[in-house]
Amino acid sequence: MTTSPSTEAPTAAAPALEVAGLTVTFPGTGRRAVGAVVALQEVDLEVAVGEFVAVVGPSGCGKSTLLRVLAGLTPPGATVTGRSTGTACGRSAAWMPQRDGLLPWRRALPNALVGARIAGMDRAVADARARALFDEFGLAGFERAWPHELSGGMRQRLALLRTCLPGRPILLLDEPFGALDAITRRRMNAWLAGLDLAGRGRAVVLVTHDVDEALLLADRVVVLSDRPGRVVLDLRVPRDGTAGARRALLEALDPAGEAR
Amino acid sequence: MLVRHRWRRVVAPAAAGLVLLVGWEVGVRLSDLPAFVLPPPSQVARTAVEVAPLLGTDVATTLTEAGLGLVVGAVVGLLLAVLIAAFPWVSDTLYPLVTLTQTVPTVVLAPLLILWAGFGLLPKIVLVALTAFFPVLVAAVTAMATVDAEHSEMVAGLGGTRRHQFWLVQLPASVPGALGGLRVAATYAIGAAVVAEYLAGQSGLGVFVQRSRKGYEVDQILVAVALVAVLTGLLFLLVDGLARLATPWQRPSLPSRPGRTPL
Ligand SMILES: Nc1ncnc2c1ncn2[C@@H]1O[C@H](COP(=O)(O)OP(=O)(O)OP(=O)(O)O)[C@@H](O)[C@H]1O
Ligand SMILES: [Mg+2]
Repeated sequence: MTTSPSTEAPTAAAPALEVAGLTVTFPGTGRRAVGAVVALQEVDLEVAVGEFVAVVGPSGCGKSTLLRVLAGLTPPGATVTGRSTGTACGRSAAWMPQRDGLLPWRRALPNALVGARIAGMDRAVADARARALFDEFGLAGFERAWPHELSGGMRQRLALLRTCLPGRPILLLDEPFGALDAITRRRMNAWLAGLDLAGRGRAVVLVTHDVDEALLLADRVVVLSDRPGRVVLDLRVPRDGTAGARRALLEALDPAGEAR
Repeated sequence: MLVRHRWRRVVAPAAAGLVLLVGWEVGVRLSDLPAFVLPPPSQVARTAVEVAPLLGTDVATTLTEAGLGLVVGAVVGLLLAVLIAAFPWVSDTLYPLVTLTQTVPTVVLAPLLILWAGFGLLPKIVLVALTAFFPVLVAAVTAMATVDAEHSEMVAGLGGTRRHQFWLVQLPASVPGALGGLRVAATYAIGAAVVAEYLAGQSGLGVFVQRSRKGYEVDQILVAVALVAVLTGLLFLLVDGLARLATPWQRPSLPSRPGRTPL
């Protein structure tokens, strides 16, 4: 309802997001830069318009770093090399950090409106939409709560609400459901799955630890290897039966098969 | 536990104060010190009751100077902090200079201010404002320079510009710091006003002290000193209360007081 006409019907060939040969290195601490960390190495990723891509991988493999680069936020001090065209810098993307990033001096509803305010949305429209989403996200009644009065899962849902409210064409979500119980998680998954991405020329990149969540929501799942993060599998989720895809994903995540 | 804490925090210092007062009273009486050197506390108390009705205008004058000066200083300090945070060149050119001016204790400037601004309220308000603005400025600038990267990244990740960063993150993040500076400033304000009144003026606690000094009425000076202490305490409590009201998101911190660590 607020997406501008220009984002409608982009050419099918143009990717919404693209990085190629992306390498991110964090210099080590101390004068001699001991312990420099290569977070990502030669990562290629292309996200088409209308596509939902999930990124999975072991903890510390660079998923959040990848999402930051896609959002146009270079982590300070890091060296970033590679080509990134159509990176979601500026006004087309909304990024949700792994830590919720809620502003402690704003109550829940004003926090939810931060993204809308940045996007220059009409105040009344944004307010009405936020209130409706508070209901849908199970946050009704907490409009006036301070962030520190909310539980971890509630804070996450509020941060997701803030990110989705302005209706930006590209959503970059870093483990949005990490702190949720199974049932709330399923409800939020259903909500996310109900977003009409292709119809509005939108795209989503979702970082998650949960293979089943990735299979449920995504059109494509990208598996990153242990640090330094490399793409070890880029799998299109088949429409009919995900059992094979699931096995392939688990194998890519755990090549030695230790956990099986 | 609670009883024990109340005992330590209220009863113990009160008892110590009482012991000091009694010692003072006894010491003065035994040593036959003349009252124009050091009167006993009982006489100070009697004088306090006597002069109390006459002090109304003086207290009002001093409080006006301190209050207005504090407000002006806080506003100027916060505005300057905003400019420093918003424009790097202001920060580079002005901030070192402002810091350098603080090597001059503000009371030293009082004679100049009186020369320029006359004997009325204005020079005192200016002096209090000069004293108050620096702690507010430093606290606010520090708070704005050290905003949580988590918050500024969130705003940037939603497409926020520098203007959004300023209004959504930097300015609100500076408020608790600025209020902390204001609390510090509040403890200086009345003292600065009184010192300015020492030099010139028609009314105010400083004027009262000077008049008492000329008449060797040490008991009156001591009454004024006690009054300055009480007023400063009240002003601090007022600013502290307003600061709490202005930052309702701040969690009530755990009660931790020096000397109460259980270890
Ligand atoms: N600001 C930083 N400074 C230095 N090193 C960093 C920084 N951010 C990330 N790293 C390093 O980069 C690597 C990847 O971090 P990242 O946060 O992208 O991992 P992740 O895949 O999101 O992990 P998790 O699943 O636990 O969230 C880590 O080894 C981390 O130590
Ligand atoms: Mg992460």
